[in-house]
Amino acid sequence: TGGHTTEILRLLSCLSESYSPKHYILADSDNMSEVKIRSFEQKRSETFSGSQFTLHRIPRSREVRQSWTSSVVTTLYSILYSLPLIYKLKPDLILCNGPGTCLPVCISALLLGLLGIKRTIIVYVESICRVETLSLSGKILYYFSDYFIVQWRDLKEKYPKSVYLGRIV
Amino acid sequence: FRFKDSLAEDLRSADLVISHAGAGSCLETLEEGKPLIVVTNEKLMDNHQLELAKQLHRDGHVLCCSCSTLVETLESMDLSTLKPFPPGQPEKFALFLDEVVGFR
Repeated sequence: TGGHTTEILRLLSCLSESYSPKHYILADSDNMSEVKIRSFEQKRSETFSGSQFTLHRIPRSREVRQSWTSSVVTTLYSILYSLPLIYKLKPDLILCNGPGTCLPVCISALLLGLLGIKRTIIVYVESICRVETLSLSGKILYYFSDYFIVQWRDLKEKYPKSVYLGRIV
Repeated sequence: FRFKDSLAEDLRSADLVISHAGAGSCLETLEEGKPLIVVTNEKLMDNHQLELAKQLHRDGHVLCCSCSTLVETLESMDLSTLKPFPPGQPEKFALFLDEVVGFR
């Protein structure tokens, strides 16, 4: 969604062409992000040829301020979609930065890892908006990601297993 | 204004921006190098939205006020005290990730 998409595209801006093919996973209700992604990839294809990317949609796992119990239900529903998708894609690397959509995707990857089907590296970058506290996705994925990146020193102190690279978006 | 696709043009021609504490608004404005006054409304806003505005204020990049103190802030402000906002460095992220996946 919105800010998350802008941030993740900035993160992608300096990555080499070796990170290909790219699969973008979006919430089904997200319209703006598709526009931003296509525009980003369009610009990129001007310098780098052979840039392969695909967009995938899964049900939105959580509305803003949705209650905890109903969020669990909607997230489980999203996993019904994300699990076959991740099984098909078998990504080497998942890069996410916090929207509800990342949870079903990461949970699916973790499940496939536990089942010995595919071991995916999960890299989570917490949003630049998070200075003192982690988002809900962040609080969960802090324990389950391979690399958890924060952009402010306060968070590095509170969450010692995190990686601090300064402001990267 | 309702909903313009992008405020980029307006932003570029502005001398001063007064905005709510939304992260996108703050960062876009600071990246254009425009002085920014952030108006916070503790009752409406999600606590976490305020985190960034508070930090930017602590670091001297923005002025902060509430709806009721906006007028006096405008009257007494000294924009020269605002510090420039250096851009983020996604290159550092790229270097880090290259090492993680073994491209380096």
